[in-house]
Amino acid sequence: MTELDAPLRELRGMCREAARDLRTRALAVDADPADVERHLDSPTLTLIRVASTPKRFRADGSVDDGGYSGSCLARVIAGVELARGDAGLICANTGPSLAGVAVDALGSEAQQEAFYDAIADGRTWTFFGMTEPDRGSDATAMETRLEAAPDPADGMLLTGAKRYVGNASRGRIGVVFARTGRTALSVRGAVVRIPAAGYEATPLDMIGLRGARICAIDLNGVRVPREDVLGAHLPASRRGLWGIGRTFNVMRTQIASMALGVALAARDLVREERPGWSGHERVSARLDAALALLHDAAVQVDHDPDARRPPSVAKLHITDLAVRTTRWAAHALGPGAMLEHPLLEKWCRDVAAFEFMDGTSNIQRLHITHDVATRATAPRPSAGRVTTPTADRVTAPQGAA
Amino acid sequence: MRDTIARCETTAHAEGLAAGLTQALAAARDGFSPPGRVAALPADRVPPGAAAVRNRLAEREGIGCFVWPGREAERPHHVRPGHETERPHHDGASDDTTTEFAVLLGAVRLGATRRLLEHAVTHLSGRTVGGEPTLRKQLVLGTVADVMTGVEAARHALLTGASVPDAVADTHERLTELDWETTKLLGASGYLADGPARTAHVSRLLADCWVAAPGGTP
Repeated sequence: MTELDAPLRELRGMCREAARDLRTRALAVDADPADVERHLDSPTLTLIRVASTPKRFRADGSVDDGGYSGSCLARVIAGVELARGDAGLICANTGPSLAGVAVDALGSEAQQEAFYDAIADGRTWTFFGMTEPDRGSDATAMETRLEAAPDPADGMLLTGAKRYVGNASRGRIGVVFARTGRTALSVRGAVVRIPAAGYEATPLDMIGLRGARICAIDLNGVRVPREDVLGAHLPASRRGLWGIGRTFNVMRTQIASMALGVALAARDLVREERPGWSGHERVSARLDAALALLHDAAVQVDHDPDARRPPSVAKLHITDLAVRTTRWAAHALGPGAMLEHPLLEKWCRDVAAFEFMDGTSNIQRLHITHDVATRATAPRPSAGRVTTPTADRVTAPQGAA
Repeated sequence: MRDTIARCETTAHAEGLAAGLTQALAAARDGFSPPGRVAALPADRVPPGAAAVRNRLAEREGIGCFVWPGREAERPHHVRPGHETERPHHDGASDDTTTEFAVLLGAVRLGATRRLLEHAVTHLSGRTVGGEPTLRKQLVLGTVADVMTGVEAARHALLTGASVPDAVADTHERLTELDWETTKLLGASGYLADGPARTAHVSRLLADCWVAAPGGTP
């Protein structure tokens, strides 16, 4: 089990305190997710924005980030506590968000500098386009194309469609993944700057997590300068799916952290409403165990960014537990609780979002059993030999250098 | 009762939650009331003058939420005195008419669950993964089979357990679970507020209002 050192405990306490501010704004943003601008100067959203920006790119050095290190463990500790305030507000915030994770993983120093410079004003939303309308999050089947423009001076052209992209209608910069050829190596991330001719993002009306302002994007020959295509400085095997896989490992722990934060919020509500009632103890014990599991998964990702199973286990388990916890909370507060407690009703909607982000439960199951399935098709070992399980890690696609 | 249950299910399956609920109201005996303070009914059946409880998704489903007339000053269920005799008369699931209505609501929800499953099957038939229809993936087929089985089991449970409040509540809980398992098959499209997953959320809201948790509030 992962023991948190003093700086991480300080970070946790700071985020727990900051989450109170998010809670006060939660229902307003859920009611009108387009009206977020007035919340951006909240001390908590400012803190999240600054802390999620690598230190060397921070414009405001005066904000105390509580010792936030940017490690996967620090991210999930902050994610749990802040989502305990409100996950919708976190997703409604400006700042690097998932696009930043992709730029950090795949971008050159110059690309990172340009990206963080573009969002330094604290008023810029970013977006991350991966999922497609017909292909879901199956990156190997991606149809969006990134092709050389007829005039080399125009760089590359982005054509296709993306779906379920947070903040795409109000973002001014983002990362969109697309295919430059037919092989698995040809999926690349491109930095897209808005406004851009051929780019159109339309908000979708979603059940919950409405602060995320989830959108559909149509891309009709959007021009991307070659210097904005991520990963050119990396070996060929690391520019495409391999790099995305690493990115997803971090993201899955973050999504799990938000799911757990919402579940803890629901549990906390029950404890507040029923002081002295011990009926929460089994649920609380499960949540404590899930938190420990999440911390361990994050540490494993920090030690081995290619480790695929731990973050998928965390996401699979915690998203399910979180949905069940909100159901339990509704029961524990009695008939009509979902209408009597608007925040609980909101959490019951919000928590479902995490199932659909970065791979549904079935996709996580495939990740978790990937090496098992591979072993099942491998030649049988000769009699008397002992085999050891292979570490399930993100591996370079076939044909990689 | 069997025919009434079938009519409620068929109507909700064909026309949606509000229509199914209207059918259930037509069949319900007088005297039922929610176990808590709030209720949800087809918007045109909300009692005049009742204090509205706004819910965006319920409204779009044609369902109105409100405080049950006469219960405006009551405390929420969980902060009432714990001693049974001190609880209001309407609390608990001993009221036969309310349990009967919960059975009819279960049939309505069952129709909506079938509708959601059919949508999911159609959706998955039109998508491919690795060149194969998504519907043929074993993990997916397994869930579809489980939901189909759960639907049959729930229908029979409504018929055989109609007089047992806890059994009815248990069936509602299983319907909520079946809806969630089906919604997951839709991927992110199962999170669109203008899609059938909205019905699943409102279906759960209805159960939350009209049915005490299995075993009562824990």
